[in-house]
Amino acid sequence: MCMAVPSKIVAIEDGIATVEAFGQTRQCSLMLLADEVTVGDYVILGAGGTFAAEKVPEDAALAALDYLAEVLASGLA
Amino acid sequence: MFPEARIDVALRTDRGRVAEVSVRSTRMIQAARLFAGRLPEEVAALLPSVFSLCGAAQKVACVAAVEAAGGRAPSPAQATLRRVDVLAETVAEHGLAVIRDWPALGGETADLAPAKALRVAMASIRGHGPQGVATAAEALAEILGAPLDAIVASADSFAGWMDGRASPAARLLSGIVRDGLAGFGAATFRPMPAGGPADLEPRLAEDHDGRYAAAPDSLGTVFETGPLARQASHPVVATVTEDHGGGLLARMAARLVDMASALRDLGQLVQDLPDEPVAAPPLGAGTGVGVVEAARGLLAHRIELEDGRVKSYRILAPTEWNFHPAGPLAAGLTGAPAEDGLERRARLLVHALDPCVACTVTVE
Repeated sequence: MCMAVPSKIVAIEDGIATVEAFGQTRQCSLMLLADEVTVGDYVILGAGGTFAAEKVPEDAALAALDYLAEVLASGLA
Repeated sequence: MFPEARIDVALRTDRGRVAEVSVRSTRMIQAARLFAGRLPEEVAALLPSVFSLCGAAQKVACVAAVEAAGGRAPSPAQATLRRVDVLAETVAEHGLAVIRDWPALGGETADLAPAKALRVAMASIRGHGPQGVATAAEALAEILGAPLDAIVASADSFAGWMDGRASPAARLLSGIVRDGLAGFGAATFRPMPAGGPADLEPRLAEDHDGRYAAAPDSLGTVFETGPLARQASHPVVATVTEDHGGGLLARMAARLVDMASALRDLGQLVQDLPDEPVAAPPLGAGTGVGVVEAARGLLAHRIELEDGRVKSYRILAPTEWNFHPAGPLAAGLTGAPAEDGLERRARLLVHALDPCVACTVTVE
């Protein structure tokens, strides 16, 4: 399975977002995103992590992050 | 940090040929176990947020598995809504490959504006009805240099479109033919049966250690799943396969045909789309399997419910068939000439088989 990690947007500059998840930041293009996003929103990234694929509502993102933290802790990741 | 799943393909060459293909995956195929103890509707809500490429298909497979566990079938309206969600995702995924990846594979720069238009159209298809389909068709026609339906109308129209070289996609495919690579990666074609292998349910049920979900087979056969398996009998795909075998060109043509077919079906379905949300899975008990043809192929979920909660959850995804250590990728690369450009050819084949995670290729 291709688990995606909902990542929080911490900065946006020229269509490139800096996103954070599990203490790691990375940069991704917002060019393919269907929704408008701002700092504080959550997105999931496409394979390879170079572009944001979809905006995720905060409650769904937090539930997914809880689950992924469990996956990480269980050693199944 | 959260580890990124990846597939690593290594080719060992010997005496001018690829002697051995190693396919190693770090995909988290066991993570579904942690759905145990949750309510089925929690799982259905979680799935689209943890799968970026196939969230719609994952959710539909989950709901179908829960229904099967309760011995129920979806209402016609619900079945239509689900089909629309999965088809829209299929168009968006194939479209992204054609718009973003095909130019890059041909050494050209991608114009991403139509990719965004396509994704917006597919994301909004339920609200916008037929306009979403028309917008998507326009975005694809712009990037392909001709309307998709016209390109795949016949084997001649497909060949004419390639030869015209009027778009990065046409130039990529005609370049593949020119370089003698149309049949690269062809091996004995073992298409996934419609609805999945006959032994899917018992194999999933017995899969306590997750080995089946990691490297599935059916009585020793590893099927190819996805566009070529679905579209093998389409006249364009059948002609290409007859001329060149089921290699690079057949798989890439099948992707165009699959996208055209999904878009056409969407055009029909959105005409009278029921005005209701996808229903949450009903409460249930027992065991059920849900199977969906996702963009990349067969996706199967198996759920076991006890007192309304998930007792066990298993997912079998298409990438595990196509990138099986003895699957279509490995078979297609074994024996390939170890000449200059092998790495690029292997990358083209990886792309044609469309893994759902990043994939590296090394030649040893």
